[in-house]
Amino acid sequence: MRELRLGLAAVLLVGLVLFPVYWMLVTASVPSHIVLSRQPPLLPQWNDMSFAAFTGVLDRRPVWTWLVNSLFVSGASVVLSLVIATLAGYSLSRFRSRAQEASGMTLLVSKMLPGSLIVIPFYIMFANAGLIDNRFALVIANTSVGVPFATWMMKGFFDGIPADLDAAARIDGCTRLQALLYVVLPAAKPGIAACAVYLFIVAWADFVFARTLVTDPRLWTVTTGLASFVGEHNIDWPGLMAAGTLSMLPVFILFLLLEPFLVSGLSAGSVK
Amino acid sequence: MKTAAPRMSGMERRDRRFALALLSPALIVTGLLILYPMYMVVMLSLREGKSMNFLESAGRPLGFGHYAAVLTDPATWASVTTTLIYTAGSMIPAFLGGFAFALLLNEKFPGRRWLRSLALLPWAVPGVLVSVLFLWLLDASYGIVNALLRDAGWIARDIAWFTDERTAMFAVILPTVWKSLPFFTLTILAALQAVPEELYEAARMDGADKVQRLRFVTWPAVRGAAVLAFVLNTLWAFREFDIIFATTGGGPYRATETLGIRAYLEAFSYFEIGRACVLGMVMLAIALLVVMAARRPLQKEFF
Repeated sequence: MRELRLGLAAVLLVGLVLFPVYWMLVTASVPSHIVLSRQPPLLPQWNDMSFAAFTGVLDRRPVWTWLVNSLFVSGASVVLSLVIATLAGYSLSRFRSRAQEASGMTLLVSKMLPGSLIVIPFYIMFANAGLIDNRFALVIANTSVGVPFATWMMKGFFDGIPADLDAAARIDGCTRLQALLYVVLPAAKPGIAACAVYLFIVAWADFVFARTLVTDPRLWTVTTGLASFVGEHNIDWPGLMAAGTLSMLPVFILFLLLEPFLVSGLSAGSVK
Repeated sequence: MKTAAPRMSGMERRDRRFALALLSPALIVTGLLILYPMYMVVMLSLREGKSMNFLESAGRPLGFGHYAAVLTDPATWASVTTTLIYTAGSMIPAFLGGFAFALLLNEKFPGRRWLRSLALLPWAVPGVLVSVLFLWLLDASYGIVNALLRDAGWIARDIAWFTDERTAMFAVILPTVWKSLPFFTLTILAALQAVPEELYEAARMDGADKVQRLRFVTWPAVRGAAVLAFVLNTLWAFREFDIIFATTGGGPYRATETLGIRAYLEAFSYFEIGRACVLGMVMLAIALLVVMAARRPLQKEFF
């Protein structure tokens, strides 16, 4: 009985927490006259379901282009950060050096650095390099955010893999690099996967770099695209919610697939 | 120093070289994309005067002119207050809510695992999408929140949450709480699950009631994790940009203009790079104070 009551309370609370997402899905999938009303129904009828908002917004705005741009920028910066962070994380985990203390410090500093401040020197640096309105500028900017926390996370994962494994591989004739590539990395796969998801979620959410370093609408990412609806005279709410739903899809899929890894990594606390 | 260090064998030297080689890309990124930009910010904050061209600052003399101007400007201190209200106003409820939620999810009931995953979802929603979701929920004419409050008879007239000076701060705090609450829930829940059941048994045997168990068993066990989560989330909220910028842009009448927003506007709307960088330095100084105050829990995590 007590279990049931607690379960019910938890369901209600989670329902309340997820209400904004629910309302996005509802707004995107019923005809606009139903939600654009003084008395919008909390539970719309099933047979009112319509995808007009999706088709409409895809016709009027280059949502696919935004999504492709976001995928390119996030994907490339995930790969770049992950390679750099995996190597560095392994080095920090296995070899004692002064860099070890410095890396924790770097992570902390990067947590203190406001994005809206660091984007100023980035703007100047990229402008001097002729990289404004270039997606690679966004890849590099996102990598600068990703590398510190990904390195720290990977170090944590490597710390959990016994160093005897490397030693055994060395005895079997592997070089240091081979031991890392063929023996340690396969064992670190779950950690690498979790790290990749984090990097993706962070890069996918980037707004300050995308808004500042890119002005050409053809290069907008999905966050700049979503923000462009706001401030218009008559905001197309169903269309905006449809675009919002599409922008959540990749994150949602990753989230469902990798939830078990996420929980272990998040509680390690390095991400925020 | 050199003579005091023990002689390195060839093996160790090769180890060191290997370690350094693996580390070097990360060192380059850190140097080029964190340290050098920070150096630039410091230098830009010291360049006197203003040039219409964003990229030309090298020729101007160094001095503390921008510091004097910014630090004596009452608008700066208004922004500091706004930032502190925004940070405390969102972190305290998010912490309490996240804690309560974690206590609930720590109980045993069917479907707990699923609910825990779902409760984590807001953490993964991009800040701009969070903004857009709450702009819609709190819309002045068609927002569901106004409709529900009207139905309940709590308000007579619609509230323009984001554009009314009196409610704008609350309106930007709400999505911030929503986005940061799951992180608190998750980190505190992880600590709760590490508390051995026997401790509660023993406390019960000793006649401790619910409140006493919470105070003398639960809290000491999760304190470390809770404090760390609070500090990290505070640093995040303190520099938060996306949610405020995409909803109110700092308005109306600067009601939600935090230091982060102010610095960005100075740089990219008014081209006052020097002022923007001084504001950034003020932010870093305050963040540093937070870090110093929370030295102990941070030390355990980062060093």
